[in-house]
Amino acid sequence: MHHSRSEKYASQAEAASRNGDKDRAAELYRLAAEEEASALSALDPSKTRTLGITAVSAASLWFKVGMFRQVERVACQWLATDYLPDFAISQLQTILQTAWNEILFRESGIEFVKGEVLVSVAGGKIVTGAAPLEFVHRKVKEVRNIFYRTIEMLLNQPFRRRGLPNADIQEQFRPWLLQAPPGSYQFAVRVQKPAQMSLFPDASPEIEEVTQKLLQIVDAAAQETHEELENIVPDPEYRNGFLRLTRNLAPTGKTFNRLEIKSATDLEARPIVFLPESRQGINKTLREERKATEEPTELKEEQLTGILRALHLDKDWIELHPDDGEQSVRIIQTGDVIDDIVGPMVNQRVIVDVAVRPDGTYLYRDIQSEE
Amino acid sequence: MTKPLLPLSNMADRHVGLTKALAESYLEAARVSLDRHHKPPQEFTLRDGSIEQAALVVWEPPDDRCRGAWANRDDATRDGAYACAIAAAELSLGLYAVKRAETLTGADYYAAFINQVSHDLEDCLRLEVSGTNLNEYEVQRRLRNKVKQAQKGKSNLPALAVVVGFRVKLVSMQTIDGIL
Repeated sequence: MHHSRSEKYASQAEAASRNGDKDRAAELYRLAAEEEASALSALDPSKTRTLGITAVSAASLWFKVGMFRQVERVACQWLATDYLPDFAISQLQTILQTAWNEILFRESGIEFVKGEVLVSVAGGKIVTGAAPLEFVHRKVKEVRNIFYRTIEMLLNQPFRRRGLPNADIQEQFRPWLLQAPPGSYQFAVRVQKPAQMSLFPDASPEIEEVTQKLLQIVDAAAQETHEELENIVPDPEYRNGFLRLTRNLAPTGKTFNRLEIKSATDLEARPIVFLPESRQGINKTLREERKATEEPTELKEEQLTGILRALHLDKDWIELHPDDGEQSVRIIQTGDVIDDIVGPMVNQRVIVDVAVRPDGTYLYRDIQSEE
Repeated sequence: MTKPLLPLSNMADRHVGLTKALAESYLEAARVSLDRHHKPPQEFTLRDGSIEQAALVVWEPPDDRCRGAWANRDDATRDGAYACAIAAAELSLGLYAVKRAETLTGADYYAAFINQVSHDLEDCLRLEVSGTNLNEYEVQRRLRNKVKQAQKGKSNLPALAVVVGFRVKLVSMQTIDGIL
């Protein structure tokens, strides 16, 4: 009986939410949560799968109405028992960690825009709950840079090729790194809501959606064809920039072999998965785009791998210490390079596509992080 | 031989996990998503591994009001995919949606072979649904991702991943854990 009522209320809540009636949706989700909690207390503990599903369901419903102490109560009560199957333990831990984050944010008084991006990496040198500091630092910076680019696009700013986002954006849209639930290795990022929204007149609704927009962009960039990306990001410069930023997130298979990015709080939560072949797909698109715009040339094309030692983009060069060379080589004509893409690569392993003149001079074509 | 109909009508009568209002809402979303690419009726392929079955999809074209209500393409694709995926699981495998799978972030469904009551979920599996308006490669890519995701840990329930390709008229599905 309680189950059926809970189902009915949850379905009605979803319909109310779809119709934009948030208050009604919250009230119905609360009723659904109460019924689910009642159903849970009446279950036969030997029915472990049913118990697990119902416990997760009750905690999720409490979470949806923002009653985080109730989430804590249900999750802790059932995690303390031996009745739950593995899947339910893992899901309850995730819900609990997210609820704890929410409680802390409420207490801190910090307001965030809607949604949270959860990034998890696995395979290679990554172990459960731990990853090399350098690696994590770089991935966090890469995600931050995609956030800034998304905000700039939503604010209709011209595409930035040099330097950091303007001071207002950096100050007002501060990304935060959050604790994430246990996993292979995970971190979560949220963007603080601008304290002075008046600095960005007319942009309020768009900015609330920045996390959702970021996820749409990354999802579209991960696809083999990029027609959806063209719909979401009509500006070709932004589109090319997002493809390059997203490519750096994808693994080559050396340090790690899988990266997932997903919303931890929004409705569409399916993870966007990057595997080594995702990087190859983006490379193919970028190569085709480059070939379509470049003058045909007889120059030999090569790929150099090594450590990016220096760069001076205003003077149009980067310097690479190749794996098979004793001396660094200078690569010129870097007009296409964008600061926030190449910045996190300094002193890191990179792959640089070049054209070679007959006198041995390297001309820049493309650069990507090797990992 | 007459091809079977994808059972999109009156789904709440057969799937205890769907209320009448929700089933109608999903059907509306499916009509909008189907109509974006095709005119009814259309033949869809239901693919389960190497087994393929053709099914006839019939829908009432949406009017302007209905299209306007589902102007958000992502919402229409997601909810339309629920209708088509649940109907395809019913037709191909005899599975019925028995309960919403509440998560932090939305809901997929739990499904079972018999139309069991929603308070006994011991034999159920999780129905993981995705929809796309892109090409067949994208349908298969999403399916592969779902399967990899479901296989990666011991902490997942047995599942049936279903991806609905509205444009390419394909519903691709795969069971995970080999329980079917």
